[in-house]
Amino acid sequence: MANFNIDAQKQVTYDAIVIGSGISGGWAAKELCEKGLKTLVLERGRLVEHVKDYPTMNDDPWDYEYRGALTPEQREKHYKSIRSGFIGQDTEHFYANDQENPYTEIKPFLWIRAHQMGGRSLLWGKQTYRWSEIDFEANAKDGYGVDWPIRYKDLEPWYTYVEKYAGISGEPLGLPQLPDSHFLPPMELNCVEKHVKSRLEKEFPGRHLIIGRAAHLTEPLNGRGKCQYRNRCSRGCPYGAYFSSNAVTLPAANATGNLIIRPFSIVQSIIYDDQKGKATGVRVIDAETNEAIEYKARIIFCNASTLSTTQILLNSKSDRFPNGFGNDSGELGHNLMDHTYRIGALGQVDGFEDKYYKGRRPNGIYIPRYWNISEETKSDKFLRGFGYQGGGFRAGSRVAANKPEFGPDFKDNLLKPGPWEFFITGFAECLPYHENKVSLDTENLDKWGQPTLAIDCEFKENEKALNKQIEEDAVEMLEKVGVKNVVGFNNHHEPGYGIHEMGTARMGKDPKTSILNAWNQVHAAQNVFITDGACMTSNSCVNPSLTYMAITARAANHAVEELNKLNI
Amino acid sequence: MKRRDAIKRTGLFMGAVVILPSFGSILQSCQSEVRADWQPLFFRDEEARLISSLVDTLLPRTDTPGALDVNADIFIDKVVYGTNTEEGQQALRAEMATFNQECVRNYGAVFADLSNGDKVQAMMREETKAPKFNSAVWGTAVGKQEPVGFYRSMKSITLWAYLTSEKIGKEVLNYDPIPGEYVGCVPLSEVGNAWSL
Repeated sequence: MANFNIDAQKQVTYDAIVIGSGISGGWAAKELCEKGLKTLVLERGRLVEHVKDYPTMNDDPWDYEYRGALTPEQREKHYKSIRSGFIGQDTEHFYANDQENPYTEIKPFLWIRAHQMGGRSLLWGKQTYRWSEIDFEANAKDGYGVDWPIRYKDLEPWYTYVEKYAGISGEPLGLPQLPDSHFLPPMELNCVEKHVKSRLEKEFPGRHLIIGRAAHLTEPLNGRGKCQYRNRCSRGCPYGAYFSSNAVTLPAANATGNLIIRPFSIVQSIIYDDQKGKATGVRVIDAETNEAIEYKARIIFCNASTLSTTQILLNSKSDRFPNGFGNDSGELGHNLMDHTYRIGALGQVDGFEDKYYKGRRPNGIYIPRYWNISEETKSDKFLRGFGYQGGGFRAGSRVAANKPEFGPDFKDNLLKPGPWEFFITGFAECLPYHENKVSLDTENLDKWGQPTLAIDCEFKENEKALNKQIEEDAVEMLEKVGVKNVVGFNNHHEPGYGIHEMGTARMGKDPKTSILNAWNQVHAAQNVFITDGACMTSNSCVNPSLTYMAITARAANHAVEELNKLNI
Repeated sequence: MKRRDAIKRTGLFMGAVVILPSFGSILQSCQSEVRADWQPLFFRDEEARLISSLVDTLLPRTDTPGALDVNADIFIDKVVYGTNTEEGQQALRAEMATFNQECVRNYGAVFADLSNGDKVQAMMREETKAPKFNSAVWGTAVGKQEPVGFYRSMKSITLWAYLTSEKIGKEVLNYDPIPGEYVGCVPLSEVGNAWSL
C-alpha cells in the first residue's frame, strides 16, 4: 500500500473534510475520493496502517508476559472500558485512554472509544444485518420519537452497493424482518448448532436459527484474503479478511490520490459562516503539540462516532447556533439509544461427546426477531423486539475449575475438550426518549482543556419488559430443544454495553424536531453531513454498522450531486 | 465488538480478569524448601512452598507434564506481582496464611508439609465448600458472581497458567495457529486432545 499523505494544508480549501476514520468515516473518505473530491480526513488518534501496525496479530498466549492479563497501570488507563470485559494485553493498544478522555456518568453509561485511524472498525463484532421496513416504520407506527424521513427502499440499493465491496458472508432466508444481503457463502454451523436449529425450528414455527451474517470474507475479494479462522480479529487481521477502514475503505480512498489523512487532529468545532449560511471548515487541536489550526472545505462529513460527533456539534457555538451547531430544534444531544445486552440463557448439550470442530470461527448463530412483526406476533407487554446471538462450543477450563476433582485423572481430562455448551443472548431495541441525552460538561475538561460529555441515559419500562421476555423465551427455547441445566441470566447492564450507541442528532422530516434531513444534511447548514450513529432516528434490534455504511455511501453520492449542481 | 474473541478468552482468562483482585499429585518430593531454581518476586518462602505444592497436587506429572514442569507456580508469582493491585496482594497473603493455619489446625502442619493423604483431604474440604464460578458469556460471568475464595481462585489460575504455557499449548494440546478453514463437525477421534488456542 502506498504511504498515506498526512500533509494537510491550512491555506487550501479542500473539497471535503471527513471527521473521523472509523466505519462510517472510512466509507465517506472512499466515496468522496473516488468521486474526485480532494478529501481531508481528520483523525484524533495515531495512524494505524493495515498489517504494519498490528503488533499482536500473530501472538500466542505465552508470548505475553502475563498471558493477556492487564497491569494495574493498564487497568487504570482503561478504567471505564475494562467494564466491557473485552480488553486484554493483545488489544489494549486499540482502546482509548479513559484518563485523558474522561466523561461523566450522570446515570451509569459505558462509552467505549477507540482513538486511532480505523477507530472501532478494528474492534467491532462484524455482525452485519440490514434493517427492515418494520424498523424504519416503527416510530411512525407507535409514536415514539419522530418518523424516519427514509424507508427501506431508499437504502436498499446502497445496502447492496456497500455489501458488494465490504464482503458479507451469510445465508439468504427471505424474511421480511431481516432482509437478505448480497452474500458471500455462509460460515458453517457446528454439529450442536445444527441440532439445536432443527429442534428449535420444529418446536417454534416462525423462529429461525441461522449462522451469523458477518463482514468476514469466506472467499477472496478485491485482493483481500479469506478468513483463516484464527479468531484474532480484534488485533487486526493480516489477511484483511474482515471489514475495517484500515484494510478496505481507506486504502481505496488512498489509491485515488485524493486522500489526505491527518492524524492527531482533534476537531474542536465546526466553523459557521453567517454570510454564506453554511460551514466553511473546522477548528482542530493538534493532540501532540496542542497547536490550534483551522482547515477549510466545501463540505464536511461528521463521522467521529455517535457521541463524539454530537460533542463537536454541541461545542460549535456561534451567534446563529448558540446551543450547538444545527440545533434549532433543541434535539441535539437527545434521544440517545443503545441495545440492551447480556440477557439470555445457557446450558449443556449431551449426545455429541464424540464430535468436535476444526478452526476458530469468528462468528456465531443468530435468531432473528419474531415478536411484533405481524398481527399474530404482536405482544401486549412491549413495543418493538429483539434478536439473539449465541453459539455452541466445547467448554474449557472454567468448567474444570468447578469440578470437585484434582490430580492425575483430572489433568488428563483437562486436556480433552469439555462438555458442549450452548447459549443465546438477546439484543433488544431501545425506544428514543428525549430525556436520554448528552450535554457539554464545561467543568470537567479533557487533557486538551476541552469540555467533556455528561451522559444521562437509562433503559426504561419498555426495555425492561423486552429483557424479561428475552430471558423467558431463551430459557423456554433451550429447555424445549433439549439443552440441559438451563440457566437464564440478566446482567442488568446499563446502556453503552451494547456498544451500539445511536441518536443525539437524528434525521427527520421536520426541522423543528430533528437535526438532519433525509440526506443526512444538517437542516440549517446543508453542506454538513452526519452519517455516523448520531443520525439514527430509532435503533432497531439489529447491529447498526451496515446501515451506517449504506447511509454514508448514499449521503456521499448526494453530496457530490449537490456540489455539482452548486446547491451547496 | 470483539464479542467473538472473548469466547475463547472466557475459560482461560477467567483467573486473570475475575479472580485477581481477591486471590492459587501426588507429591513427587517433599516441598521442604522453595524450588532451587526460583527466586519469587512476591511470595515469601512459606507462600511459595504452599503454591508449589498446591499446583503440584492439582496437576501432577504423569505421562504428560505437570504444573511444576511448566513453572505454573513461578508464573503465578509473576502475575500476582505484576498485575495485582497492592490491596489484592495483601488480601492474597492473608488468604494463604488462613489456608495454612487451617491445615495446621486440622492436620498438624502447613499444606506443603502434609502427607499426600492429608493434602487430598484438605483440598476435598475446599472443593465441597468453595463457591463455584458462574457460567460466562463472551468473557464475562452471567449473573452475580460471588467470590469463590482462595482455593478455587488458585485452582482456576493454575489451570490458566498450565494451559497457556508454551509447552502444553504447543506440544500437548492441539496447536493450530492458522486453521485456514472451519469444519463444524469432525469426529473427536481425528483430533484427540482439545485445541490449544
